[in-house]
Amino acid sequence: MHELSLARDLAAVVERTLGPRETRVLRVEMGIGSAAGVALDSLRFAFELVVQGTRLEGAELSFITIAARSRCGSCGEIFVFEDMIGHCPRCGRLGGELLSGDEMVLRAIEVTDV
Amino acid sequence: MCDTCGCGTPLVHRIDVNERLLASNAADAEHNRSHFEQSGIFAVNVMGAPGSGKTTLLETTIGRWCEARRIAVIEGDQATDRDSVRIRSAGATAYQIETGLGCHLDAAQIHRAVHYLDLARDDLLFIENVGNLVCPALFDLGERLRVLVTSPTEGADKPLKYPPMFRAAHIVLLNKCDLLPHLRFELDEWTESVFAVNPRVRILKISATTGEGMDEWLSLLDEQRATCSPAHGTAQ
Repeated sequence: MHELSLARDLAAVVERTLGPRETRVLRVEMGIGSAAGVALDSLRFAFELVVQGTRLEGAELSFITIAARSRCGSCGEIFVFEDMIGHCPRCGRLGGELLSGDEMVLRAIEVTDV
Repeated sequence: MCDTCGCGTPLVHRIDVNERLLASNAADAEHNRSHFEQSGIFAVNVMGAPGSGKTTLLETTIGRWCEARRIAVIEGDQATDRDSVRIRSAGATAYQIETGLGCHLDAAQIHRAVHYLDLARDDLLFIENVGNLVCPALFDLGERLRVLVTSPTEGADKPLKYPPMFRAAHIVLLNKCDLLPHLRFELDEWTESVFAVNPRVRILKISATTGEGMDEWLSLLDEQRATCSPAHGTAQ
């Protein structure tokens, strides 16, 4: 359940970004690499708990999946996949060196003035 | 709402942030890393499932090395100080972190723990992470080397089931290899899966109980210590 640590971190980054302005947070948008190993349901659940009683309470947490890229260990092909691990489309081999896809990014916050 | 009188639906502002999560952990980890370098200590993050043999590996390593090298261990467990008691009996200094609800160690915990150790006097710091094949993979502690201890009783399918952990490791130790003749464990399938997830990883078959493979493990550790000096960056 490392998602609880991620949720705390996410809430802290949102709070720091907003600073003292009086706003209500409507939506928090994250980008998560498909190979990052984050359970989105768990993160959403943890986020709801963490933000209770704050101006983030009730905010929708939305995710954009960032496709991962690997370099095939057999033929060197660089390929894109949306999973924890992918098959090379050229030679069929599983896996390879992960080039990207483990990102966990706070992309944007949507707020409204109160 | 309109800016003049506040009528209508509320105006929604979008604020683009594009900031990575765990940046504060990454900053704490870098702080630890530079502290370890200044103290001349080689820090190793030892990860693996509960029961994979992490503590036994450290006991055997300490038993073989404690005359020649000074070793400190930070132990992470949800509860009890059993592991740090074992480590002290084996001949090293130990500091226990009880994480309570926490399923992994983070860099800030290591930073606090380091204040209880006298690192300037030690050569190696092992950080035994909480037994878990998922969460610790995401948290940089400031180590130079990440070692995954795994065992054949866990099954040959684990590399594909838990890719981030196998991907995070520089070295994968297949511990308890003395049990291989008694188990249905497809070693070739397991090896192929480990390399599929992490093509650059080093794999060693060891048994911390019988001592098999321990010479190779200790020389690999020494080799990594030499190549992971600050000038060479993190292990590959």
